[in-house]
Amino acid sequence: MAAPVRQSLFGVAKGWWRFERLWAGSLGSRSLTLAAAPSISGSPWRLLGAVCLQRPPLVSKPLTPLQEEMAALLQQIEVERSLYSDHELRALDEAQQLAKKKADVYDEEEDEQNILLAQDLEDAWEQKFLQFKPGARITEADKKNDRTSLHRKLDRNLVLLVKEKLGDQDVWMLPQAEWQPGETLRGTAERTLATLSENNLEAKFLGNAPCGHYKFKFPQAMRTESSLGAKVFFFKALLVTGDFSQTRKKGQHVWVCKEELGDYLKPKYLAQVRRFLLDL
Amino acid sequence: MALAALGVSACALRSRSWLLGTWQTQIRDTHQRASLLSFWELIPMRAEPLRKKKKVDPKKDQAVKDRLKKRIRRLEKASQELIPIEDFITPVRLLDKARQRPPVELPFEESERRALLLKKWSLYKHQEHEKERDAIRTMLKSQQEALQELQLMSPELHAEATKRDLSLFPFEREGPDYTPPVSNYQPPEGRYHDITKVYTQVEFRR
Repeated sequence: MAAPVRQSLFGVAKGWWRFERLWAGSLGSRSLTLAAAPSISGSPWRLLGAVCLQRPPLVSKPLTPLQEEMAALLQQIEVERSLYSDHELRALDEAQQLAKKKADVYDEEEDEQNILLAQDLEDAWEQKFLQFKPGARITEADKKNDRTSLHRKLDRNLVLLVKEKLGDQDVWMLPQAEWQPGETLRGTAERTLATLSENNLEAKFLGNAPCGHYKFKFPQAMRTESSLGAKVFFFKALLVTGDFSQTRKKGQHVWVCKEELGDYLKPKYLAQVRRFLLDL
Repeated sequence: MALAALGVSACALRSRSWLLGTWQTQIRDTHQRASLLSFWELIPMRAEPLRKKKKVDPKKDQAVKDRLKKRIRRLEKASQELIPIEDFITPVRLLDKARQRPPVELPFEESERRALLLKKWSLYKHQEHEKERDAIRTMLKSQQEALQELQLMSPELHAEATKRDLSLFPFEREGPDYTPPVSNYQPPEGRYHDITKVYTQVEFRR
């Protein structure tokens, strides 16, 4: 107990001051719910369940230069160790016939010539391939850097962050809700998701166990005998379908990859969250 | 009505002579005849003399059954045909000598470049493996710490968190492709003919 106390007391002064201001406004709308809901009997810590909703990547990552070189080398070795295919044999035969035709003055086997050469076939295939327009790997949202859009950074995992008003300050955090007696913590996380998106987001939760936790103490002014601080337990979920409806205000949520988390989250919170996010 | 009338007449004729006796027996099965008053149909004229029953029948049946059983046993004894693994059978057209490429003589620089690239690649893969291992280790550690904290908070919630989630497996997900799906894509028209060879292995079991 001594170590976490020291950590929370000797943390970044600015961050600490921010937390003090946070919980000082105890009459804010959010902490009313905290005061109303009972905590676990006997424990001075409040219990919160949070969901770490990830949008899995739709597109593979681009290859590094070393990977490109290696891929080219492997392809070269495979071609060297292979046998000729039917198409290649046909091309070789036709090349031989053409050479013979040029060497000889008159054609003996005129009837056996194919009108369609292997080269013509290859050209036709090339044309057909060019007619197909694949989807863009770098989307418009990437170019505009629109962080609320789900179509940004298709090759990375995107995590959902929401802006909550605690006291008189806006704080970015993973969506969370207070635990209510009679439900499991995973149920709390699912309830968070449902209330957040009005049942538009469908997610697959990865197991009953939490993947990480974050505990913090309330500033001295806020502490009472029954509430010393709060513990948040994070649950991982993968987004299946759905998105936020337009009714939600634009500035309240953000889909962000692991590097950009630092722009939004507080340092200690960030440190705990980074531990359980897999860096692709 | 006619039947009733005949029945009445039959009762009346019962007391007459034997000539009429046959008539009476014929009248008894009038319900089986096509026309009630035809005479020549009354006397069965087409019967054969009865044949004798064969005594060797059960033995013959037994012999037939034995022959069938012997045939089944011979089929069972013959080794079962195993389903061929098509990947291990080289098609005959690929054994042609004309198919083989001429052997490539690599210049010295090329072979050096290849060797160096392979070394760099093995180092890169080793580093990647270490990174992955460390990431997984931190994730597991974070989860263990969270579960310990939960245990300290409330044992009931901890017990519920450590229960198996039966809806998690089987877990299926389509992996990332090279390009994202096109929203208004029209696939080419046509029917799908599945020409995979399906082998069935017949098991003879008694």
